[in-house]
Amino acid sequence: MGRVVYAAAMSHVLYPDYYGQNVGPHGREMVEALIAVVREMGATLAATTPDALVVIADDHLNVFSFDAIPAFCVRVGRSVDRMVQADAIEFDRALDGLPERYLVHEDLANAILDQGMQAGFDFAASWSAPLDHAFLSPVSTLYGRRPVPPLVPVWVNCFVAPQPTAQRCYAVGRHIARVIADGPWNVAVIATGGLSHFPELSLARVGQSDPVFDRRIVKLMEAADHDALAALTAKELHETGSHELLNWLVLFGAVSPARARVRFFGEMGRIDLAALEWSVG
Amino acid sequence: MSRYETNVVLYRLKKDQAFRDRFRADPRGSLADADLTAEERDAFARWDTRKLNELGGMLHLLISIPGLGSH
Repeated sequence: MGRVVYAAAMSHVLYPDYYGQNVGPHGREMVEALIAVVREMGATLAATTPDALVVIADDHLNVFSFDAIPAFCVRVGRSVDRMVQADAIEFDRALDGLPERYLVHEDLANAILDQGMQAGFDFAASWSAPLDHAFLSPVSTLYGRRPVPPLVPVWVNCFVAPQPTAQRCYAVGRHIARVIADGPWNVAVIATGGLSHFPELSLARVGQSDPVFDRRIVKLMEAADHDALAALTAKELHETGSHELLNWLVLFGAVSPARARVRFFGEMGRIDLAALEWSVG
Repeated sequence: MSRYETNVVLYRLKKDQAFRDRFRADPRGSLADADLTAEERDAFARWDTRKLNELGGMLHLLISIPGLGSH
């Protein structure tokens, strides 16, 4: 009987230079404070010695192109590479210096994929997609110099309309929980992505966030009101810039009915940063 | 409306350094074969990122093209 031994969600540009450059000293200090908290969370995570780490995150049109955008994609295969971007700017530079290759937990990845297809989740599978900052910035911050356990990367299409619904993301999380429960492994699950930023994916509105919406979302997570969270509409997510909450929706499904504990919440103006843990142990 | 082609060009600009170099040297010439409207072609030539975004160009591509992306 497997179980979820650790669960958390957090912002995924854990890179002080990015916020220093785009927001100023206030942004740099806030993300440094978040990074310190995520490192503490990483010590807790590592102490659970998971057999596998499921990472639910989105693609920033780094891996998938307009040729095909999967609603959900499970990374299978034996190993997964870090994305390489020549002359990287901004958040892609957060990948510099990280290990070039990570193990994939093949058995768990295949189980999520195979059993998902049987259960009616038409997942895409990839044997080659590399990982960008959405995966590796949190993983590297959590683990530091400790060895990273085998990963199961799962992509959610957060940005290219039409996205999967919040309800469907939640259902995928319930599916992952069932696979873990039926398997022999101790598994950690994290979801990544910012709270509100980049409303409407409009360049003209870069710099705006929606703290009122984010405070409401955090309260719902603390209350484990997953019905309300799964009822969020594509319109609400798009208008507030909360696209990446779809990753978190998968996690809510995986940990339900656990309540969230807020480890960090910061209103930066450009984005609201957060890190939360769920009591699953 | 060629939202697809706009994003194909943006994706190539991010991922293909040789294409990016050609674009920077000669924007209109490098896009001669692209299936773009006159409005899209003009926005690329002027590197008007807000216009490209309004025409369907994805924000995350527009802000992350080496040497061209900006917030």
